[in-house]
Amino acid sequence: MHTLSVIGPGSIDVIDAVADRLDGRVAVIEWSSDSENTAVEDTRYLVHADGTWSGQGEKTTLDRLLDQLSTTHEYALLSGTTRARVPTIVIGDKTAIESGTVIETVPDADSVDSSAVAESIKEYEPYITLATLIEQVKATPGAERSGAIATFTGRVRAKDSDDDSPTESLTFEKYDGVAEARMEKIESELAAREGVFSVTMHHRVGRIEDGEDIVFVVVLAGHRTEAFRTVEDGINRLKDEVPIFKKEVTTDEEFWVHDRSS
Amino acid sequence: MQWKLFANLAEIAGERTISLAIDSDATVGDALDALLERHPSLSDEVLVADGELHDHINLLINGTNIHSLSGLETSIEPDDELALFPPVSGG
Repeated sequence: MHTLSVIGPGSIDVIDAVADRLDGRVAVIEWSSDSENTAVEDTRYLVHADGTWSGQGEKTTLDRLLDQLSTTHEYALLSGTTRARVPTIVIGDKTAIESGTVIETVPDADSVDSSAVAESIKEYEPYITLATLIEQVKATPGAERSGAIATFTGRVRAKDSDDDSPTESLTFEKYDGVAEARMEKIESELAAREGVFSVTMHHRVGRIEDGEDIVFVVVLAGHRTEAFRTVEDGINRLKDEVPIFKKEVTTDEEFWVHDRSS
Repeated sequence: MQWKLFANLAEIAGERTISLAIDSDATVGDALDALLERHPSLSDEVLVADGELHDHINLLINGTNIHSLSGLETSIEPDDELALFPPVSGG
C-alpha cells in the first residue's frame, strides 16, 4: 500500500483531488482533533442497502488503521495528520509537523499539482506490514499444496537488560538497488528448496521508533519443519548479506551498530 | 566513475555520492586512491597499515564484491559504480 499525507489548511481538498487521480482501492483517513463519538456502545456501523457503510468507534490508532487497510487497499491518504516515514506535503507552516517525511512544502492548497502528486506516490517506500506479505504468499502458485506459513518479525528492542540505557529509535539506510537484488537472490534460493513454495522479505528504512517493526520474513511451505528452518535461514542471510546499515539512538548517545559489534 | 559511501563512511566524508574522472586503464585501487586523496579522513577507517583494505570493509563494483574479482587490481570502466561500506547491520 502506498501512502501520502497532507497537512495544513485545505488538506482534505488536496487529498480528494489526488484520490480522484489514482487507480485502485483508495482509503482516506481524515484527522479530527474533536471527539465526536456519541455512541453508547464501543463500535457502531451504519450499513446501507447498496453495501456502503459508515461507522464510528472508540480507541483506534493511526497505526492500527493503516495495518488493517494495508492488505485491502492500494493507497491510504491521510488528511491533517502524518506519521514516521509517510511522504508528507505541508501546506503553510512546516513547523507544525512532528513526524512524517516532508516531500514538499507549499504556501496554500491551490499550489499543489494533484496529478503530479498522484504520479509520484509510487516512488516512495510503500507501507508494508506482516499481513501484507502473508496475503502475498497466499496468492502465489503452490499455495494449495502449502500447509504452513512461518513468519519472522524483527522489531526495535528498547532494552537488552534491566540496566541498559533505553533505545529510542533505530535509523536504517540501505544501498538502493543492490539491497533489493541481494534480497531477491536470497528469496529465490530459499524458495527453490524442496517443499518451500514462496519466500518474501521486507526491510523498512528511515527512522523506526522503539517497539515498531523493522523487518519481516514470510515463508510458504508444505510442512512446518521446512517452514521454520527456511524462515530462520532467511533472516540470518538477510542480516549477513544485505547492505543495510543501522544507527542506534539511546537516551544517552548515538552510534553506528557495526562499530560496537566488531 | 561514481563512488557511493554508506553509514559512518558517508558521515566522515560529508557526502554520499562522488563522481570522479579516471584514466582509461584505471583499476579499483586507482579509484580508491583518488577517493582517499579527496577525503584523507577516510583512510584510517578503510585501510590497514600496509595500505590494504581493512578486512571488515566492503568494496563493491556494480554490486559485486571485489574479493570475487581481482581485488584492487580489477579494472574499471567510466560508467562503473563503486561502493564502500562497513559491515552490514540490517535486521
